[in-house]
Amino acid sequence: MSDEPAPASMRQAGPRDLEIVWQDGHVSVYPVAYLRRACRCASCVDEWTGAQILKAEQVPEDVRPVRIDPVGRYAVHFTWSDGHTSGIYSFDHLRAICPCAECAGR
Amino acid sequence: MFGRAKRGVDEATVLEVLKTVHDPDLHRDIVSLGFVKDLKVDGGKVSFKVELTTPACPVKEQLKAECHRKVRELPGVEGVEVEMTAQVRRAAQPAGPVLTGAKNIVAVASGKGGVGKSTTAINLAMALQRTGATVGLLDADVYGPSMAMMFGIDGQPVITPEKKLLPMDGHGVKVMSMGFLSDPSRPVIWRGPMVHGLLQQFLRDVEWGELDYLVVDLPPGTGDAQLSISQAVSISGAVIVTTPQDISLLDARKGLLMFRQMRVPVLGIVENMSYFRCPHCGERTDIFSHGGGRRAAEELGVPFLGEIPIDPKVVPGGDKGVPIVVEDPESPAAKAYIAFAGQVAAQLSTLAAQGGGNVPHTPVMPGPIEWR
Repeated sequence: MSDEPAPASMRQAGPRDLEIVWQDGHVSVYPVAYLRRACRCASCVDEWTGAQILKAEQVPEDVRPVRIDPVGRYAVHFTWSDGHTSGIYSFDHLRAICPCAECAGR
Repeated sequence: MFGRAKRGVDEATVLEVLKTVHDPDLHRDIVSLGFVKDLKVDGGKVSFKVELTTPACPVKEQLKAECHRKVRELPGVEGVEVEMTAQVRRAAQPAGPVLTGAKNIVAVASGKGGVGKSTTAINLAMALQRTGATVGLLDADVYGPSMAMMFGIDGQPVITPEKKLLPMDGHGVKVMSMGFLSDPSRPVIWRGPMVHGLLQQFLRDVEWGELDYLVVDLPPGTGDAQLSISQAVSISGAVIVTTPQDISLLDARKGLLMFRQMRVPVLGIVENMSYFRCPHCGERTDIFSHGGGRRAAEELGVPFLGEIPIDPKVVPGGDKGVPIVVEDPESPAAKAYIAFAGQVAAQLSTLAAQGGGNVPHTPVMPGPIEWR
């Protein structure tokens, strides 16, 4: 099942950047405010309609993770500086929202 | 006379012939796998150890016999001593700081209740323990914990000065259950968030020590408790228990999909209460239509780990606190559990050899990332 993206490593790459190196060698660098806005938890995205509840402008530009915890074998959990704690980001989702030019161009 | 073989043999020749012995699960020879240890050659006497990746290896005796025979047949060899040992390897890296002492965490799950999941979990743990492995058993069935009775364990776990709970001893297996802490006469009613908190605490606060295998008896179904555990720890693999009469393909599939989403490898399906063997005449009767587990496994593309016969002794064994694998290890049901445990151990060894298995390995982070 090599179509399942799995990180080889994950680290803070700058004051506002999270870096994931994937097992296939791809490198993703996420601005953390972008990640906060991409939260798909039930209070940020409507579970029934899929409509976006969280608006981009509601997220302060200087938002940052307080900590990031592993969730089982498939995801990570963010505790955010704006107090939001309910987001679980699966590796599938993280890979899908990689902002690099190559991925964003697809 | 001429042609008489020289006395003795050299190490290279012994290793050469041992290279023709293959581990059937790992599909490689035991020399390149690094299993051969402490090879000593003294004239015509040869001794060595074979270190497997699990003491529960289902083909341990065959491997031993093959090693013995092949070395014994070498010219110049007069005596062979083979010792079988095992060093259990990890099939998954721990996710975060929880349960890091357990090399392998095996979840026993079922799509619905009443399929004998707890009995299966107990006998799996006992069968692994009896091969020499260090084994723990966590009763995560917070709604109807049953381990205290099934193991005949009385009393309450000791709390260490570091505020850790020590597991209780059940015939050599380290056991921890909600049932040790709660009043058995009162039903346990927990809401989802309470279950989550309770399990988190349970996983963190029990002092398991080093374990080769931790068997986790999950509550039936695919709800909060199952999610909580799969999120809190890095489960090495899951076993799904079904029964033949269960129209259980649907249930089994639900369980399978849940584990796949959480990237927990499914080791396979075991069919419980599969058939009845008459203790008097030995005749086998399929009480329920039989073979549903095997069909489910084939259809879902996961290994079939075995079928456990109905044995009237299994239940009394459970109720008086002696699992059948201990009570009557020669009975058909106990033998079936032992064979099933061997399959589980073999699957885990294969995953460990592949570095995490068909589901990608997640050595993501050794612990949380604290943002600076």
